[in-house]
Amino acid sequence: MTTPNISWTRIGLPRRSFLKGATALGGLAATGLMLPRPAHAAEGTLKTRTYADIRSMDPAFSQGVVDEEIQAAIYNKLIQYNPGRQWGWQLDAADMIEQVDDTHINFALKDTIGFTNGFGAMTAEDVKFSFERIIDDTLESTNKPDWGPLDHVEVTGERTGTIVLKNAFQPLWSITLPYIAGNIVSKAAFESVGGKIDTQPVATSGPYLHAGWEQKQKTTLRRNPDWQGEPAAFDEIQIYHIDDEKAAEIAFEAGEIDFTRVSLDSVERLKSSPIEGTTLDEYPSLYYVWVGMNLDNPKMANPKLRQAIQYAIDVPTIMAAAYFGAAEPSTGIIAPGLPGHRETSLTGAAANLEKAQALMAESGEGNVSLTISVLNKSANVTAAQIIQANLAAIGITLEISLHEGATFWELGSDANVEMVLNRYSMTPDPYYATSWFISEQAGIWNWERFKNEEFDALHLTAQSEADPVKRAEMYVRAQDLMEESGAYKFLTHEATPVIYRNSIVPALRPDGLPLYRYFGAA
Amino acid sequence: MLSYVIKRIGLAAVITVLAVSALFLIVHMIPGDPVSTMLGPRATPEMRAALEARMGLDKPLIAQIGLFFANMLRGDLGMDVFSNRPVTDIVLNQVPYTLTLILVSISWSAVLGIALGCYSAVNRNSLGDRLTGILSVSVIAVPAFVVALYSLLIFAVKLQWFPAIGAGDAGDWGDQLHHLVLPSLAIGLSWVGYIARLVRASMLEVLGEGHIRTARAFGLPERRIVFGYALRLAILPTVTVIGVGMGFLLSAAVFTEIVFSRPGLGKLVIDSITTRNYPVVMGSVLFSTLIFVASTTLADIINAILDPRIRAGK
Repeated sequence: MTTPNISWTRIGLPRRSFLKGATALGGLAATGLMLPRPAHAAEGTLKTRTYADIRSMDPAFSQGVVDEEIQAAIYNKLIQYNPGRQWGWQLDAADMIEQVDDTHINFALKDTIGFTNGFGAMTAEDVKFSFERIIDDTLESTNKPDWGPLDHVEVTGERTGTIVLKNAFQPLWSITLPYIAGNIVSKAAFESVGGKIDTQPVATSGPYLHAGWEQKQKTTLRRNPDWQGEPAAFDEIQIYHIDDEKAAEIAFEAGEIDFTRVSLDSVERLKSSPIEGTTLDEYPSLYYVWVGMNLDNPKMANPKLRQAIQYAIDVPTIMAAAYFGAAEPSTGIIAPGLPGHRETSLTGAAANLEKAQALMAESGEGNVSLTISVLNKSANVTAAQIIQANLAAIGITLEISLHEGATFWELGSDANVEMVLNRYSMTPDPYYATSWFISEQAGIWNWERFKNEEFDALHLTAQSEADPVKRAEMYVRAQDLMEESGAYKFLTHEATPVIYRNSIVPALRPDGLPLYRYFGAA
Repeated sequence: MLSYVIKRIGLAAVITVLAVSALFLIVHMIPGDPVSTMLGPRATPEMRAALEARMGLDKPLIAQIGLFFANMLRGDLGMDVFSNRPVTDIVLNQVPYTLTLILVSISWSAVLGIALGCYSAVNRNSLGDRLTGILSVSVIAVPAFVVALYSLLIFAVKLQWFPAIGAGDAGDWGDQLHHLVLPSLAIGLSWVGYIARLVRASMLEVLGEGHIRTARAFGLPERRIVFGYALRLAILPTVTVIGVGMGFLLSAAVFTEIVFSRPGLGKLVIDSITTRNYPVVMGSVLFSTLIFVASTTLADIINAILDPRIRAGK
């Protein structure tokens, strides 16, 4: 056995370096870094916030408003949403667009729109390419459903063409053409990169250029010098990715962003102690929140029991406690301002305890114990606790089962679900709302397993009904059927409060979402 | 020394493979269907099947693990199903932000903590020692998220000295450093107290040992005794703790990145777990594990350099 030769390595402790380093660090903190910085965004730059990072700048794969907020500023569509309090659209790349008959829409493009990076003027071929690639099965676009019954686009001239549908499709004007699937991309640019892109556009055409994207941090848009339409108001738009609404509010108060959505529980504080030089605006939201009851679950099979629950839930209390009085009770799945919105619900927003108790007695049920599944967000938990108290008043014991996002969104296929507090997003056409509650969706997105032939027929015919009055009546009837089934208690459409500096003029959709291309400087 | 380093690196590789395999299984066993989560309410059965195939979810779990490691060895961590970008690019883009945050936090807290610990030990039971003790325990007791929120409210909102969000402009080092101050303060502050207490305790122990008494008997200057002999030994547990502490800082970085809206690995992991974006989860987990294993290995190697008894296996 040998004894290891242990010798100490000479590493003199860097005391002087250590002291120098500590002093330098302290000095840096005390002087250089603590210089006051400008409280507000630099002139000509709009700093704003998005709640998630972008996923794709390819309209065939973009998902939701986060991508679209940027795409609407860098691409053009035939038509764009109007900013304001009423839903509507205005011409964008189209100089003219008209519905010739149920299945044909003629359009003519402006001759002033061109793509960046040398990809030339926008032509009808670009429109054909942009729309048809989304319905091409080989591309596997996640946005194919938006184009509904699109058959093809016929090019009739360099800048003229006809959109040909297989059958009439009214949502085309409200959720297809003015939203993600309506973005027009350059055929040549996409073909030059193999047919699809990720987060980096190859060529754009809107009033702003895509100047940069820093993953999980921000997207920068810059004024397009070649844009010949209404001039862009800002030299630059910086869209910061801030997940948390409270963090966004702090950033706003710190003067780092000029516009953000705020949380509902901050509305009262911001109203009572307004931040100088800012404006708080409240917009209704399109989301819909409801309590669902699984019709296929034997515990929920008694219609009188379900009706008793509908009458026992006190929506105004939920609005006050879970939504801080910043949201209104809803009457269905279709928000105010959209065709088919109901003025009142059948069971009313406020609880009717007498009726609920009478229905409970009629049901013949005793010792009822149910479980409500809830996504673990604070508003949902508070709402569930109020529902728990409401149902206790009619002798129902309600257990609250909390789920995180991924497990919650799997519950649709779980036949054992009894009650659920649910919330779906929405686009500005009633077709989008009813599509999740048809019989075909039972056990997928129709968690209540509500099956009604009349409802299915209404959903089908309403999407092609050209008469707006008749169409609205159909959607009203569809929501009546949902409520009559006893499977639904509608709670709210929530709200979208936004805050901005008075140095800017925001341009928002009626549901409070930003349309950056139309933002202006005050 | 070389054989010790080789052995330690080999062990680190084994730990990485085992940890990543375990995390792979855990990630795939947690409830939640990634396809439903990703596609949302618009998914048709065909779209679901196509995405499952693209993510390799149609294969048995063991085959998925094998495929993951085989691809990993080729430097291919797969594609992000949302953006269609390589996962390696996505993760490597975020690693520097988290690494910088952790290194800056641990560096300033170590510098300050060691200085305070030395001062306390050398001036044992003095007023300064007592004040340092109170201060150390106080900062240990304050949760990092409280420091984060209050520092935001005071230094970003009220005084507007430091930015509240982001990591600064790419390429502008001054701006990036400016953006690092509050986040690194939030996660480094409690470490100052922790390291100070640790160094003080170790120093007191070493200062009472025989070779220090001998050095004093030989009339060596006190500064040389403290900094040249005592601290060198007393620092060993601190180096180990800092190595392990990198793991804790990784988890602390998650909420710091959320509160300060900074890009980084922690935020990427949370976002991708929420959406069950398996390729990105695994890519992030792999790099987090590598950072943790590398830091503990490095701490072991530094300890071996400082203390020959360790490299001799004594």
